[in-house]
Amino acid sequence: MSTPSPQDEFRSQLGELLPRLRRFARVITRNVQDADDLVQTAVEKALARAAQWRPDSRLDSWMFGIMKNAWIDEVRARRRRERIHAPEEAGAAVGDASAESRDIVLSIQAAMETLPEEQRLAVALVLVEGQSYRDAAGILGIPVGTLMSRLARGRATLQALLGEVQ
Amino acid sequence: MKFSDEVLMAYADGELDPVQRAEVESAMASDPDVRRAIDRHRALALRVKAAYQGVLEEPLPAKLASLAGKPVAAPVIGLRAEREARRAQKAETALWRMPQWAAMAASLALGVMVGLFVLRGPSAPFEETAAGLMARGELDQALTRQLAANVGTGGPQVGISFRDHGGQYCRTFHVQQGTPLAGLACRSGEEWRVHVLAAAPSRAGGMRTAAAMPMAVLQAVDAAIEGEPLDAAAETAARDAGWQARQDMAE
Repeated sequence: MSTPSPQDEFRSQLGELLPRLRRFARVITRNVQDADDLVQTAVEKALARAAQWRPDSRLDSWMFGIMKNAWIDEVRARRRRERIHAPEEAGAAVGDASAESRDIVLSIQAAMETLPEEQRLAVALVLVEGQSYRDAAGILGIPVGTLMSRLARGRATLQALLGEVQ
Repeated sequence: MKFSDEVLMAYADGELDPVQRAEVESAMASDPDVRRAIDRHRALALRVKAAYQGVLEEPLPAKLASLAGKPVAAPVIGLRAEREARRAQKAETALWRMPQWAAMAASLALGVMVGLFVLRGPSAPFEETAAGLMARGELDQALTRQLAANVGTGGPQVGISFRDHGGQYCRTFHVQQGTPLAGLACRSGEEWRVHVLAAAPSRAGGMRTAAAMPMAVLQAVDAAIEGEPLDAAAETAARDAGWQARQDMAE
């Protein structure tokens, strides 16, 4: 038996991260299809650049950074093409979740959709992915103070839209 | 001691150093407002995280799984698991296809959000200023130039125009900012001040029918309007005159 090669090791760690990458993508793209496309793009980029990753650094932060850049590129490309994405319409049948929990989940996602890109990224990294302020600022390439102000503004908007918890 | 909201937020997130933390904790003990603000931050953080937790449980699409060397669809074995996966997918479809306004209307007393709704960024159609929430970018341009008869190709849509009790021009609008929004803006100097902003029914209902206007906006129009809405000729004339308030014409 041979020990796993570094490439295999990298690939397997990446595999473990996939659910979290999908979650992060879902928050920032606001759309299931875009989210999975983004994860795929980011994983392909990561595999191509595997040599740049230092095993002593955090793979999740590294991947979030790749995803953030890929998404910003995508958004810019779309703006250039003036193709503004509109959320899908038409109601589908309601799933199994209890009405109460479904409404709450939906309203948070609806509220998140209204945040400007930069605030949604900050909220996604800190509140959803549990990154520290320092790590989140590093991923976004901004000072910690800027991260905090984007996070605070995003939260204030969400709070205004969502109101108090029952 | 008074703390900024950012400091209280950082406390709630466990991001303060020990000295600041102790300061906030001593304030918390004596000031219920401080405690409430921190509780609010924590509650919001939990709700946002919980809203996306379900994604972690979803089966991976085969394409992604194989790309990262994961055994493909390992959790989906057998009839029961498959049925569960289908159900999860169905629930997810419902989650994302449900018209956003319905979701908001269902659980939020959204209503009027004057001054609360802070949207920024290079493409944000609004900016919170000391004078209130101002229309910016495309929305500002649409309010200044667009006639209601112009059916735009995407972008903001202007609805009805009228004069308020003070003689200022006001216009209703629809704009898509992640989610469909509708509002009422009135001329304020060289700018448009947004008085009301609310979640709007999406395009399915027809962009500019009265029914597509949220109740909060309709009520604001009713409260502000002097006389009747402008007809097409009056609207064009008002636009060409730069939306200047015409005191001489106001009754």
